[in-house]
Formats: sequence, structure tokens, C-alpha cells
Amino acid sequence: MIITTIVFMILGIILTILPMGTIAFLPVGIAVILSILAVIKSKESQKKFPKILLFISIVILLAAIGKDVLVKDKVTVDQQFIKEKEDSKQEAQKDLEELEGL
Amino acid sequence: MKKLFFTLCLSVIYLGGFSQIKPNETLVFAASYEVSGMMTNIAQVTMRTEPMNTAKKSYLHLSLEVATFAKWDSFFKIRDLYESYVDPTSLKPSLYKRNVFEGGYFKTEKYTFLPDGKSLTSVSKRMKKPEVTKNVKIGSTTRDVVSMVYKLRTVDFSKVKVGQAVPFVIVFDAKEYPVSVKLLGKETVSAGNLGKKECYKLSIGAKTNKLKGADKNIIWLSTDSKHIPCMIKFSIPVGVGQLTLSRATGI
Repeated sequence: MIITTIVFMILGIILTILPMGTIAFLPVGIAVILSILAVIKSKESQKKFPKILLFISIVILLAAIGKDVLVKDKVTVDQQFIKEKEDSKQEAQKDLEELEGL
Repeated sequence: MKKLFFTLCLSVIYLGGFSQIKPNETLVFAASYEVSGMMTNIAQVTMRTEPMNTAKKSYLHLSLEVATFAKWDSFFKIRDLYESYVDPTSLKPSLYKRNVFEGGYFKTEKYTFLPDGKSLTSVSKRMKKPEVTKNVKIGSTTRDVVSMVYKLRTVDFSKVKVGQAVPFVIVFDAKEYPVSVKLLGKETVSAGNLGKKECYKLSIGAKTNKLKGADKNIIWLSTDSKHIPCMIKFSIPVGVGQLTLSRATGI
């Protein structure tokens, strides 16, 4: 269970870093559930590591939620793209005038 | 993204003359893609109309931009620009331009529709390869994909029967593609700042490997005289996705 929790945790970290939206909630959520189960099922003397896993899972979950709430879907103002569009218009005007002369 | 664009453009075709496309109209869509069963927003698609004048003629400049959201730019940046210069009334194209930048891959393409109406000159360049010029014979009704998008909106769908399919031809990658658009019925969908809109549900079919499945490539066009594209769902060999209208201005 510990290994499975770690696998889902790593997957959750990767998907939280990548711009994959809410998909990260799935592995992170599973990691949180598994780590809770690990804490419950562990012997009293072996609860320390599952508790660390649970703490890390919750931190990743909060990071995923925070990213989903705070990072909005916006397009960067791309000066190079704006210039390319202007250049394209000017070139098109010339092409159309040439076409009209045919 | 090329396939996504192809789908978007195929999502819009037919004959007729129902409404006039006005200049200075802007439609903004959020493009999302299905990953592990969940839709993830990846890019913004913007469709614009602007007037363009030369010394002799007036044109309508139709453009379609695709730009990845900032969060994606570090991983896979897309800046695509598709343009068509058309007659403001008939929407017949004179010039089509395509400028693609997708994660380091780039391609430019230009079609000049010759006055004979039966051919076009295609000039394309991909990455560092030399420029390729071709003369392509086309049918009299063949259009570029961008002007098709707008031409579809001029169709009076109230005269089209449910299940009726209409054949079309578009030119893409310097090849002609037969396309059929089938009216599936009416549905009400969300249309961004326009609220909920009753729409014509249209299925797009094309004899190409760029689209997948029967009735899986769908466009919803508002039933009002504007025929605003409110939502588009597409199915391509590598997955499914959709475009959702988020903002419409100048309509």
C-alpha cells in the first residue's frame, strides 16, 4: 500500500506541475485515501512514515487545488505574433493588388 | 492542432444566402482536449472579421487565430493564424493564408485564387525545406476552409430537413476534400456571454483520415439570423475535444 501511495503521489506531483487542469486531483486524491488507510492499518510503532505520506499528499492536493483556482486560462500578449499578423496583412494587401492586376 | 483546425473549418459549410457577415465581429472560443476522460483547456481560438481595402476593391478579412494558454506555452506553444480575404457579399475567396507555429514546427501556406475561378496558386514552406509552388485545379465552388466557416453561417437552415446531408468541397493542404454537412436537429447549448442559445446541430463528414467516427464531429450554430457557432465537438485519430464559445462581440 505504501508503494502504491508513493506511485500515485509522484504521478500527482507530475500532473500538478504540468498544465493538465483537474486531472491531478485523481492520483492525488487516491494518494490521500491510500495514505489514510496506511495510517489506520499500520501498527502504532510504524505510523510515522504513513503520516509523512499523508502530510505530503495533502500538501500536493492543496497545491493542485490552489493552481486550479489561481491559475486562469489566459493567453500571453505575444508581441512577435502581433507583428506577424500586421506583416501578414500588409503582404496580403500587396498580393491582392497584384491579383487585381491580372 | 492542425486537425483541430481542420475539424473546426469543416464544421462550417453549405450554400445559400441567409444572413450577411458583418465586419468587426469577434468570436472567442476556449479549446479543450480530453485527457484521461477529463476535458483540459489548452488554447484560445479567436475568429475575427475586418474590412480591408485596396485601391480598386473592398474585401472582408476573415481570420482565425489559435494560441495556447500561457500555462501551456512552456510545454507546447501554438500560434496559428489562418486568414482569408473574401468578397464582402458573396464571401468568395481571393487569397488564403496559413501561418502555423506548433511547438517548434512551422509551416506557411498561401493560396491565390486566380480570376478564372478554376485554379489557384499554392505557395507553401515547411520548416527549413525549400518553398514549393503548385498550381491546383479546383471546382467553381471550392473554397478555403476559413471562408467556408463564414459561408456556412449564411445558410438558411430552416429550409434544410433533419437528416439531410449537403455535399461540399474545400481545399486544404493543396488538396480538394469532399465534405458533407448533415442537419441532426436542434439543441440548446451554452454560448458564453450570449447565455443559452437554441442551435442547429450539424454533423460534419469528410473523406479524410483527419476526422474519425460517424456523427462525432458536430457544430452547433445558433438558430437566430446570426448563426453564431456556439460549440464544436471533434473526434480525430488521437482523441476528442471541443471548442466552447466564451465571448462574442460586434455581432
